[in-house]
Formats: sequence, C-alpha cells, structure tokens
Amino acid sequence: MQASRARLFKEYKEVQREKTADPDIQLVCDDSNIFKWTALIKGPSETPFDGGVFQLAFSVPEHYPLQPPQVRFLTKIFHPNVHFKTGEICLDILKTAWSPAWTLQSVCRAIIALMAHPEPDSPLNCDSGNLLRSGDVRGYQSMARMYTRLAAMPKKG
Amino acid sequence: MDDDYASTDEDYQYSDQDVEEEDSVGEFYENADDSIQLPSSIAPAAQVITKESLIVAQKEDLRRVMDMLSVRQEHARIMLIYHRWDVEKLFEVYVEKGKAFMFAQAGVSVDEYHDSGSLDSAIVMCEICMDDIPSDEATRMDCGHCFCNTCWTQHFFVKVNEGQSKRIRCMAHKCNSICDEAVVRTLLGRKHPDMAEKYARFLLESYIEDNNKVKWCPSTPHCGNAIRVGGDDDLCEVECSCGEQFCFKCLSEAHSPCSCLMWELWEKKCRDESETVNWITVHTKSCPKCHKPVEKNGGCNLVSCICGQAFCWLCGGATGRDHTWSSIAGHSCGRYKEQEKSAERAKRDLYRYMHYHNRYKAHTDSFKLESKLKDIIQGKISITEEKHSGRKKTELNDYSWVNNGLLRLFRSRRVLSYSYAFAFYMFGDELFKEQMSEAEREMKQNLFEDQQQQLEANVEKLSKILEEPFDTFKYAKLMEIRMQIITLSALIDDLCKKMYECIDNDLLDSINLGSVHSIAPYKSKGIEKASELPVCWSNKADNTEMLLSEKDSCIYAASVGVTAELNQSEESGCSSRKRARKEGGFFDLNLPAEVVDRN
Repeated sequence: MQASRARLFKEYKEVQREKTADPDIQLVCDDSNIFKWTALIKGPSETPFDGGVFQLAFSVPEHYPLQPPQVRFLTKIFHPNVHFKTGEICLDILKTAWSPAWTLQSVCRAIIALMAHPEPDSPLNCDSGNLLRSGDVRGYQSMARMYTRLAAMPKKG
Repeated sequence: MDDDYASTDEDYQYSDQDVEEEDSVGEFYENADDSIQLPSSIAPAAQVITKESLIVAQKEDLRRVMDMLSVRQEHARIMLIYHRWDVEKLFEVYVEKGKAFMFAQAGVSVDEYHDSGSLDSAIVMCEICMDDIPSDEATRMDCGHCFCNTCWTQHFFVKVNEGQSKRIRCMAHKCNSICDEAVVRTLLGRKHPDMAEKYARFLLESYIEDNNKVKWCPSTPHCGNAIRVGGDDDLCEVECSCGEQFCFKCLSEAHSPCSCLMWELWEKKCRDESETVNWITVHTKSCPKCHKPVEKNGGCNLVSCICGQAFCWLCGGATGRDHTWSSIAGHSCGRYKEQEKSAERAKRDLYRYMHYHNRYKAHTDSFKLESKLKDIIQGKISITEEKHSGRKKTELNDYSWVNNGLLRLFRSRRVLSYSYAFAFYMFGDELFKEQMSEAEREMKQNLFEDQQQQLEANVEKLSKILEEPFDTFKYAKLMEIRMQIITLSALIDDLCKKMYECIDNDLLDSINLGSVHSIAPYKSKGIEKASELPVCWSNKADNTEMLLSEKDSCIYAASVGVTAELNQSEESGCSSRKRARKEGGFFDLNLPAEVVDRN
C-alpha cells in the first residue's frame, strides 16, 4: 500500500514538472484519492481521431506498479480494440505484458499509439474490426471520424 | 502325484524358477506376493514420491541436464520446467536450435551482466519506485536489470500469490528472463518467510505437476504422494503406498480391460442412469407421442401426458380422451398386438444396458462380499494349522495356497466386472458402429463371450471352493481341495491373460485407430505396487549452522561466474558459497545432488 502510494506521488510530481513537455497528454489526479486518475489525450493527427479530445479513467490497484492500472475510455470512441459501450481497452501491456517499469504517462502514450495503429485481429468492437479486416478503410475512417465529431469535439455555438 | 503338483505350480508361477521339491512350493507361494514389489533394477517400476523424497526424485533429471550442458542446477530446473521435465526434448532443442536459442526460449540468462560499474556507484535509481537508493539495497538479476530490493520483494510476493512461482520473470519491460531462485528465496524470505516457503514448494512440485511421467495420487483425502512411472508407456495401473489403486493415464480407478474412454463413458452412464433408469422403468411409461416418461399419480388407467396426448396405462397405446370407468373410447388393449418398432428399439437399448450393467454390478458386489472372506479364511487356516500340526512338516507347513487362491479370485473378479463394461461398448453402436460390419461384430462378440464365459465359470467355481469349510476336513480331502484351488488359480490366470490378448490382438487391433482404446496390460500378480523411493535427505541435519547466511548473497548471485561456481561444486561437493545460500527451514534447491545424498 505504502509503496504504491509513494510511487504514485512520484509520478504526480513528474507529471507536474513535465506538463509542457508532452502537450498531447494531460494527466490529472483525483483531488481526494491518489488511486484515481483521469487523462485527456489528443487524437493523433492523420487518423480519424484527429482533433478530438478523449478522456481516460485510471483506476490504480493496491499492488501498483506490480499490477497494471485499469484504464478505460470515458469518451465514446469507434476503435477495434476499445469496447464501444464500456470503453474497456484491449492492450497487451495492460494485461499480460505489463511491466512495473511502465508509468501512467507511458500508458497514455501507448494508448495514443494504439489509436493510430489498431489491431483488428483482436477486436473488442467487432463492427469496427470487421470493417478493417475486410479492407474497408474508408468505411472505418468515416465511422470513426463521425464518432470523434459527435463525442470528442467541443460543440460549436 | 507329487511330481504332478510341482509341475502345475511351476506353470502357474514362474517357469524360470527351479521348483523340484514339494517343500519349496510353499515358500514359493509365500514369496509370490512379496515379489510384486520388484526391485527397481529389474523393471522400470512405478515409484512412490513422497514429500520427503521429492528432491531425490528429480535429482537424476537435473543431474543429466547439468552434466550435459554444464549449467547451474537452477538453470537446469528452469529449462526442465519449460520443457515439462522432458530431458530428451530439451536435448533435442539443444541439438537442433543451439544453446543460445534454448536458453533464450526458457528465459535463462547465462551471459552474466559484466558491467558492474553502476553497482559501484553508491546510489542507484530504481525505475519501479523511482527512488534513489544505496546500491547495496538493490539487486541486479542475471539479465542485467537492477531494481531495489523492496520492489523485487513485492514483485515476488505478488507473483507467488498469483500462483506463478514456477516462472517469475524480471520486472523490466519485455525481459523474458526468469528470476534467480536464490535471489527470490533470500529476498522473499526476509519479509515473508511463509511466501518463500510456498515458492520453494511450488518449484519442487513442478516435478509432479509439469511432468507427464509423474502424477499425484488421486486418493481422497489426499495422501500427499505422487507416483512416477518408468518406461515410456503411461498406460498402466498402479497402487500407491496409501493403498489407492488407479489407472495412471486417466487417474480414475483401475479399469482394465476397459479403455480409459470406455470407462469414462461407462462410469458416467452408471452414475447418470442406473438409479434413474431403475426408477423410470418401474414407475413410468413413455408417452406414445412425445416419448417423455410419464408417472401415474393416481386415477384411472387413462393417463394424460403434459403434451396433451392421452394414453392407456395398461398398454401404453394412444387413445381418445372420452372414457367411462370401464372402457376408453376407441380402445381395447385386451387384444394382443405386435408392438411398434421405435418403442421396441428404445426398450432393446435399455435391456442391453441392463444386461451388462447387472453382470458388472454382480461381480463388483461379489468382489465386495468376498473381501470379507479374507478374515474368515485366516481363521480357518489357524484352526487347520492346529489340527494338522502333528503332521510331517514337509507336507503341509504352509497355507499360502489358500491366500493365493483368494488373491486370484479378487483379481479375476475385477477383470470380470470390467469386462462387461468393455463388452457393452465393444459390441454396441456407440463407439465402433462404423468400424465393424455386422458379421464381423458377431464373430468378435462370440469369440469374446466364449472366453468371458469360461472365465466366469471358473471364477465362480473357485469362489465356491474357497468358501468351503476346509477347516473341518480330513487331511486327504484337504489335500484334494488344495490341489483344486491351485489348478483353478492357474487356469484363471491363464484365462485372464488370454482374454487381454484377445482384446488387444483380435478385437481392438483392426479398429483401434490412433490407439484411443488401448488398454493397460494384464498383470498376473495384480496391480503393480509402486515402490518407495529411498529418502536420503534429512532436512535438519546441518541447517542450523547455515542460518546466518550472507546478507548479500543476492548481489553475489549476479557477480559470480557460472564456471567458477561449477568448479567449486565439483571440487568440494558443497562450496562455502553454496552453503551460504541455504536458508533455515527450506529445502535447498541448489545443493548439488551428491550432497543431498550424503546428507
């Protein structure tokens, strides 16, 4: 318990210090609970998520960093490896390939990378995965862009 | 006459033994049972592995790998666990893919990290907790990754708790390397001694759990033993030292001449059906429309099924619904009619099952009843012994013929009862319908049933004779009975053997594709008793002096070269460094095998 708290505190300081270094990621810790974090990440450019801002929720386990944090999308997103309803993410480093050397910040970076390079062969969102697997990249992109506009962009006017 | 005896006996037991005098026959029988536990040098017999002999049991495999590849014991263990303790497979990988591949695949880092420069600096930064810590509180694994002891300890704790003791990986990202045993035990032992113990136990038990040749004894409550079989064939029946007899392949009770699959089906069928089937046949009739069994819960003989169909309880035929107390509209079942085909078929299947099941059950029940004979017969023997104590010693000095006859009876009863389950599947439609033509099946069935009947008849005869009150007999009659029992036993043994041969060669041979239905070989002397492994290991002997181990043995683990270590252990058998690793109360996994022996 103490170890995870100490480590999270370190990460918190690190985030404060490097706030400007990575403008795509904005990690915020819950005011009252250091085991709850949220992050705002920018959709990577040249992808259908470009221009959108996506919110992630982190739930850090007691044995962190020896066990991976639980991360899910709060913002709706059309992506093969993200569950459309729950926002659950299928990413190896959050499951079996987790290493304690990862930080919350680096997890965010991995998720941004996943947004740019989906893995349609292990889909959580079958519709999205099937579009990509059948080679309909345009269909996938237009769907994803539509949901990005609907859910991840501030409404104008 | 005497010559006659001897020759019969000789045939019965071992033809290679020299039996000349009547006298030796007795002794011979006495030994017959002891010889079940053949010394392991003669046959690659099954062995019992107890908690105590677990270390000794795996030492040979470890030794082979260590000698062949000149690696440390812990590395040998990691690789053996990876290859499920299949030494041949490990060597195969070594020959085909090379040493480097073999090490990398299993997660062994033998290329020790040479740059110890960073350890020399007083402060290291642990990438896990991001703390700066003095270098003597950090540990560098063989793979070169260095983290602080607190983080390592927690990592080990979490992994052991998750039940992943056997392959605890390094914490670094994408590092496949398995953590050093000694480090794990030292670090874990400081804070969580119970966990370190658990870790050591899991590591040792890998020999049982990740090994095709070793299995836990299936006894309940568990006796704590495991059984290792010799040879290449895991198809055999063994008896654990706790008395549990089981089929090594499927871990259910010993069931030859049934194959494992047949036995599984049979057991399930018996469990699911016998009671239910009995009740259903007695209390219900099946509806002529939906074929569900219907129970009559009172009222007249016009029964109405939940599907709406009305039928006559007396004949089971469908009827109209209008009825009076004396007659049902459009129905008179007093007249005899041929029954319908489909109903006939279901009935035939059931009768067929009941035929086999009843006989199977009868023999199992007889077996249970006859088990009680043992004590009764002991009593009879002692009476007879007293009665004929005045006799010449050479003629009747021992009664092992009775006991041997009894054992033969038990064994053949088993065989008989399981042979009915076998026959049910062998000649039924369930398993082999496609593989045999009707004519072929009939021929095989006749062949088998002839043998079965012969065996059955003789077993019953033996059972009857054994129950005779021979303690009241005169000497001449006693000798006659003795003769009968001996010849019958020999005959039965032979018949059993022939039946197994017949099953193997004539029945299953042509249709047993992929050998799914192979059966365990017949053992004339009954189910093989697994012999005990000698325990050469005493746990407490010299542990106490080692209690105060080097505090930093973990750091040492990274810095001592493999070769140096091997040399040391070769020279002195137990180097001081190796001793230093030992933690009180745990098994020392790293002790060279010969030291284990010496202790």
